[in-house]
Amino acid sequence: MRKFWLAAVVVLWALAFGQQEIKAGWIYVGPIGDYGWTHAHDVGRKEAEAAFPWLKTVYVESVPEGQAGSYIDQMVRQGVKVIFATSFGYMDAVQEAAKRYPDVIFAHATGFKRAPNVATYMADFYQVYYLNGLMAGALTKTGKVGYVGAFPIPELKRHINAFTLGVRAVNPKAQVLVRWIYEWYNPAAAKEATEALIAEGADVFAFTEDSPTVVQVAAEKGFPSFSHYSPMLKFAPDYVVSGQLVHWGTIYKDFLAKVYAGLYTPKNLEDVDYWWLLPQGAVELGADFGVPINPKFAGRLKAKQVDHPIFGKISVYDLVMKLHGLMKDVELAFDPFQGPIKDRKGVLRVPEGLRLTKHQLETMEWAVEGVVGPWPNEPK
Amino acid sequence: MVESWVVATLARGLAFAVPLLFAALGELVAERAGVINLGVEGMMILGALSAFVVADLSGNPWLGVLAAAGVGAAAAFFHAFFSITLRANQYVSGLALTMVGLGLSGLLGKPFAGRPLAHPLPKWDVPLLKEIPWIGPGVFSGQSALLYLGFLLAFLLWVFLYRTRGGIHLRSVGENPAAADALGVNVYLVRYLAVLFGGAMAGVAGAYLSVAYRPSWTEGMTAGLGWIALAIVIFAAWDPLRAVVTSFLFGAFYHLAYRFQAHLAPEFLKMTPYLFTILFLVLSALGKSVRLGAPEALGRPYVRGER
Repeated sequence: MRKFWLAAVVVLWALAFGQQEIKAGWIYVGPIGDYGWTHAHDVGRKEAEAAFPWLKTVYVESVPEGQAGSYIDQMVRQGVKVIFATSFGYMDAVQEAAKRYPDVIFAHATGFKRAPNVATYMADFYQVYYLNGLMAGALTKTGKVGYVGAFPIPELKRHINAFTLGVRAVNPKAQVLVRWIYEWYNPAAAKEATEALIAEGADVFAFTEDSPTVVQVAAEKGFPSFSHYSPMLKFAPDYVVSGQLVHWGTIYKDFLAKVYAGLYTPKNLEDVDYWWLLPQGAVELGADFGVPINPKFAGRLKAKQVDHPIFGKISVYDLVMKLHGLMKDVELAFDPFQGPIKDRKGVLRVPEGLRLTKHQLETMEWAVEGVVGPWPNEPK
Repeated sequence: MVESWVVATLARGLAFAVPLLFAALGELVAERAGVINLGVEGMMILGALSAFVVADLSGNPWLGVLAAAGVGAAAAFFHAFFSITLRANQYVSGLALTMVGLGLSGLLGKPFAGRPLAHPLPKWDVPLLKEIPWIGPGVFSGQSALLYLGFLLAFLLWVFLYRTRGGIHLRSVGENPAAADALGVNVYLVRYLAVLFGGAMAGVAGAYLSVAYRPSWTEGMTAGLGWIALAIVIFAAWDPLRAVVTSFLFGAFYHLAYRFQAHLAPEFLKMTPYLFTILFLVLSALGKSVRLGAPEALGRPYVRGER
């Protein structure tokens, strides 16, 4: 119903003010065929274009982070009025361009610097990672879960921590072994990192890299894994348990509709910061869209019973479903980073009864207990 | 414990060495004929895409490998035409080939991105040999057939280069094309064949990536391996057997970088194969009179009748 009213308002505004057409441009850091980050943004762009007849879109792919400025210039010259910059590294280029073009609206993904004409947005996975962690903890036999990470930055640390908290909630002695590949996209590196983790004894896998490599390598050896970013179930139908999926389109549609309606202007974006999670439908738990848990693993997950502080004796399958339901609620009845939480050096990071603020989540550098492996910038 | 490290390092080092080895052997032959081809990365990725497409459509991964060799050679033909016949700058022409290859494969490969391959290249267990302790499970179990073909190819190339008349012709074209020409060797033909062979092998290297190593197609999936292959040619001092060793070293250190990540900076380990090869080169240069230099005429177009 709310959606209907939003649409009605948008149409009325359009009729009243005669806005004809909006041209929006996307700057991508990778190729749209990467089957990861950029691919997912492009799916969102197409969704927005299909939804709004008044929207025209353009995009450039594989823009190096240092060169975003000149591509923004080009887009503005083509008459683009709304620019989405989809990589953290574009932050300063976006800030500079926003000063050059005060009438253009900018939205910067994953960043934290805003301006009157620069908004920021993020669809974050940390809740979903916790749920995946619960399942990983139930499935590991060696007590070692492998994680192939791209870069040791707060975003990944937050995800790995949430994942590890999930693993340990089910399997208190389990470890999450982490290896970094220092690239967002490098299938060969992801493969070798996975092989190294296998050699160390890991038998369940999760990762952050823009290809299905980790899923494929794990499946080859018969190990379960969690898909990342795009649905990867089809790459290993018997081995992908679940995963994290994104719907950037929900953010793009909301943002553009509000631009069209005149709610967002190049003067009032200073406080517009999308931090969309499960409740807003920006992210989804699943091995594929609409498949929260691969039915092939339902049996094993139902067989594993845990003693949960809230629900008492419960199977991991039901626990995932219950917490998933709670976290989809806007009231946020449950949060993975619920105190008390100590880091792996023994420092109390989240006191009893408290949760982390968005700022604390966004700047997280510490590692929870159970994370094993190098952790650059770890606080003393 | 030690055994698991040795086995894993052998197995992973070799598996990662295969694409490097094929691409390096191909480039080595082209460079021995005096033509440097910086288009390895481009030919490799075109090979990767065509192998995936053909393997996907036909259901036969070996057909994919063949197609990749064909497409790699076809791509190399452009380089040969520009740099040998038109005598364009070899570096520019090769770089252009890399850029065109990366761009074209990205464009044509869009419909194939994110599709799993139903029939990847099978893995081989070599009977009997796989029973050898330590070495068996590392070298002779679960590797792609292309690994052994790569070994065979390196050996045959060594025989060809140093033990046959054809090999002498090839090397002389790369060292002193005018002299070779005077002796009746068709310099242009030899160079063309060498460059086409280089392209075909780069194609096979790409095919290994998309139908064996990680059976799927993703844009830019060669991720710089073509450039490492070029470096291996230099580190191997243009010798096919040394190319086997250097490829393996690169592969092994690539693997160890992740094994040791908890204890050592990954940057250090990624640097190690280069340090190792330099040390290796220095030691062998100090020892016997091994020729380590590049072919004399490398990178120089040949013009008949000019000195």
